[in-house]
Amino acid sequence: MDNLILALGWAGLYGPMALGAIGSMIGCSLAGQAAAGALLETETGHGRYIGISAMPSSQSIYGIVVMFALNRELTLGNAPGLAAIGLLCGLALMFSAIYQGRSCASAINVSKIRPEIFGMSLAPAAIVEGFAVFAFIFALVISAGVPA
Amino acid sequence: MSYYTLVTALPDLPPLAKCKQLPISRIALERRLTMLEEEDLKLLRLAESLYHFGEDQQKNFSDQKRVYQWQSQLQKVHSPEIRRCIELRLEWQSLLAALRQRQQGDKGPEHFFGLGRWTARIRQHWHEPAFGLENALPLLNELQPLMQKGAAGEVEKQINTWLWQNLIQVERSHAFTLETVICFVLRWGIAEKQIRNDADQALEAFESMADALISAPVIKEHIESAFEELS
Repeated sequence: MDNLILALGWAGLYGPMALGAIGSMIGCSLAGQAAAGALLETETGHGRYIGISAMPSSQSIYGIVVMFALNRELTLGNAPGLAAIGLLCGLALMFSAIYQGRSCASAINVSKIRPEIFGMSLAPAAIVEGFAVFAFIFALVISAGVPA
Repeated sequence: MSYYTLVTALPDLPPLAKCKQLPISRIALERRLTMLEEEDLKLLRLAESLYHFGEDQQKNFSDQKRVYQWQSQLQKVHSPEIRRCIELRLEWQSLLAALRQRQQGDKGPEHFFGLGRWTARIRQHWHEPAFGLENALPLLNELQPLMQKGAAGEVEKQINTWLWQNLIQVERSHAFTLETVICFVLRWGIAEKQIRNDADQALEAFESMADALISAPVIKEHIESAFEELS
């Protein structure tokens, strides 16, 4: 049982980084595929499509920061707390990256048709990013309460 | 398979009424459709052949045989949304066939064969102007007098506009799926047919205007005198 609790603690430590990276891979891939299609259809503005497709990569960075904030010597006392914070934060980062990728793909699709709405079409992706920031900040705040 | 690249690689089709030129040629469209997998491409071809039937189907088929063929082919369309779109298209085709058959007057309702929800009702209410479907299909009220006037082109245009809207709805409710791609290709087909018909109509109008001008007495005199001077 002790080993299981410690294993969960380790999963909580590495979870934000791993799950955030998985989300970023999927999100960037979806948005990147949409950007590649838009390149075929447009004459200009290629750079911004590729730029948008990198938006879901920020979740990986948040994951790394949370991982470092949680990093401490694992004990049976702090492992459950680390597991709860790390895994939940990781899941939040993963889903936000996937859905941000979808939002970016839609933004690319519509701004390809009407380039003048490019900025506005990015609003949904920015809102999703906001939720990822919430998960990130409060994971940092709450990690201070986990015993060292 | 992911359809993100293909969907964003397709251009925007303008509203049908304003569509005077296709934003992408069939050759360019086919090149993009090579991104689809074999199975998806098969479904797309089947959907197209059912939706835009007539050009490639056998002319010597009886109505009954054709309806059976449609029914068996519809079973192979595994996407419920696309199957519904095709059913709607074929329902309208059946309604038009009923209107035409009744107008010709040589065959009764027992000889009518159609596909969809309304077939039995059409037979039952054969002698009513809109087959008792005034409330279910308000568009039929507008089409029926046009059919009587023989304005087949206008009837087709109105049905195409209705089908176009239906396809747009399905396309927008599916972001980045095979349904999005199929609806786009079906809309492309409608636009292409309308542009082709407009061009044919323009040519016909030009020819009849030219005939009318040439046969006008004043112009005729001028032409004859020009020929005399030449000879």
